[in-house]
Amino acid sequence: MSKFTEKTGIISSFDIRRPGVKVLYGVCFGILCIMALLCFFPPLWIITSAMKDIKEFFAVPPTIIPRSFHPEKLVETWNKMNFWKYYLNSFMSIGGCVVCAVVFNGLLAYVISKLRPRGSKVVFTLILWSLMVPGTMGLVPLFSSIVDMHLINTFVPLWLIAGANAFYVVLYKNFYDGIPQSLMEAAQIDGCSNMGIFFRIVLPISKAINMVVIIFAINAAWSDFLMPFLVLKSESLYTVMVKIFTISTGNGGFAADQQFIAITFAIIPPLILYLIFQKQIMGGMANSGIKG
Amino acid sequence: MERKPSIAAGTTYKPKKFISYRLLYDVKAWLVMLPSLVLFFIFVWRPLLSGVFMSFFETQGFTITQFIGLRNYQDLLADPVFHQALWNSVQYTLWSLVFGFLTPIIVALLISEVVHANSFFKFAAYFPCMVPGVAVMLMWGFLFEPSENGVLNVILSMFHLGPFEWLQDQRMTIPLIVIAMTWKAFGGTMLVYLAAIKGVNQELYEAATIDGAGVFQRLWHVTMPRIYNTGRLLLIMQVISVFQIFYEPFIMTDGGPQNASVSLMLLNYNYAFKDFNTSKAMAVGGIVFVILMVLTAIYLKVTRENETE
Repeated sequence: MSKFTEKTGIISSFDIRRPGVKVLYGVCFGILCIMALLCFFPPLWIITSAMKDIKEFFAVPPTIIPRSFHPEKLVETWNKMNFWKYYLNSFMSIGGCVVCAVVFNGLLAYVISKLRPRGSKVVFTLILWSLMVPGTMGLVPLFSSIVDMHLINTFVPLWLIAGANAFYVVLYKNFYDGIPQSLMEAAQIDGCSNMGIFFRIVLPISKAINMVVIIFAINAAWSDFLMPFLVLKSESLYTVMVKIFTISTGNGGFAADQQFIAITFAIIPPLILYLIFQKQIMGGMANSGIKG
Repeated sequence: MERKPSIAAGTTYKPKKFISYRLLYDVKAWLVMLPSLVLFFIFVWRPLLSGVFMSFFETQGFTITQFIGLRNYQDLLADPVFHQALWNSVQYTLWSLVFGFLTPIIVALLISEVVHANSFFKFAAYFPCMVPGVAVMLMWGFLFEPSENGVLNVILSMFHLGPFEWLQDQRMTIPLIVIAMTWKAFGGTMLVYLAAIKGVNQELYEAATIDGAGVFQRLWHVTMPRIYNTGRLLLIMQVISVFQIFYEPFIMTDGGPQNASVSLMLLNYNYAFKDFNTSKAMAVGGIVFVILMVLTAIYLKVTRENETE
């Protein structure tokens, strides 16, 4: 109960002593417990079901809490489907996307926020507009120009599209706006060139924002489906998302338990990322430029 | 505000030299952002505009053949599937307001009030956002398995409900897809609200308490007005994002049963990549483009209002 003594907010530490408010607090706590259960149940059910033995998996009705546990099934299916191949493809896509996302969006935001040449305001307005209108809008012309550039069956369009992401530009711009101009003027008086300012002052203090954009870009590239699905036509280039989609909807002859395992493979990497970087991820989301 | 860092105060440039120096500075700055702008042009702006442009032409595959004015739009408006898709988008919007708008607000309020296991609940609420979209939709597809095979039917039968047909029931498809979408996305929105709630001045609560306001009165008169601005922005954003629904029905139902869940973007995709009728796809794109532009204009107007307040 010691947590209550410093409680602030709508219900203060003073209110909580009243029995009615205590019940209300308990109800709030209960609702949150149900919410947590609802958030965790679906993926956990898929993951644990993937490791049931075949007899239990196909039992009618299906069991909610698994009785059997066979993690070796994951390894078997991994080898049978050559899943490392799709992981490798996804990692290829992620690598390029991260580099493009940081370099191109970061530089653009830096120019708009700090260098401010004439006309850069117009550029930022355009970026804000494209934040709202999705990539899927111009899907057909985009696809046809990718065909014209002979970039089908390469990762290049996926990488370059990550380099033109309005959301990352806004994230970077919000960060650079927060760097006081006086810091850079001081460097200038000390004889630092424009390049020097960027590499010696701005870059070292941008570590946090780079981290946020890198994590977002990794997650986006891993989860991206539509562009890889359209661009990567050859089976040997499929990313994990395209693969689990074709396994589950195409008639590739995969049984339901294999599909569960494939979904498990698709879920686990972002979950590891989340466990390690939850602070940066949630912080980045809260500062995403939506100002009330 | 003039903030040109390279022109430090006190430097004595002659006017003419000053202008050329500034020009040089501008050119250099533009060169730094040129590669990024080229990418934006190729992958974002040009496709959007050329899509709208192409919608006024007859096409053969991906190449335009002749100008036909608004005929693509006339064809489209005569197509009953388009009517269905437009009506579905309205339904998607309404259902997403029912499930998706209040959920993040309520959860954010609860999380900001409950001090026990606070970071665990935050972790749990954002957890679904990290599950890749394709996996989420496939997963809910399995949960919504009809007949007594489905998990949800098993769970509901404990309460003597069902079995339901779930996604195969035309009346339920759209709300169920929206539930799956809300499950995936509410955590991110919740964090934005949470930041807004955290920003409320604590003294206001104390003042309200002294004035004799109860818990719910404080919620209504102190907290709500302070998250109102955030709320209306997120509301518009939500409507905008609902008009972009594509992969959710594409994966869960492929638009079925009997086009009951076809969204505008899915229709766009089907025209372009299944029927190879590019002109019609462009016309769908054009209509969605106009709708989204209007919504975006409202969004930017509200943002500006919020900033000046």
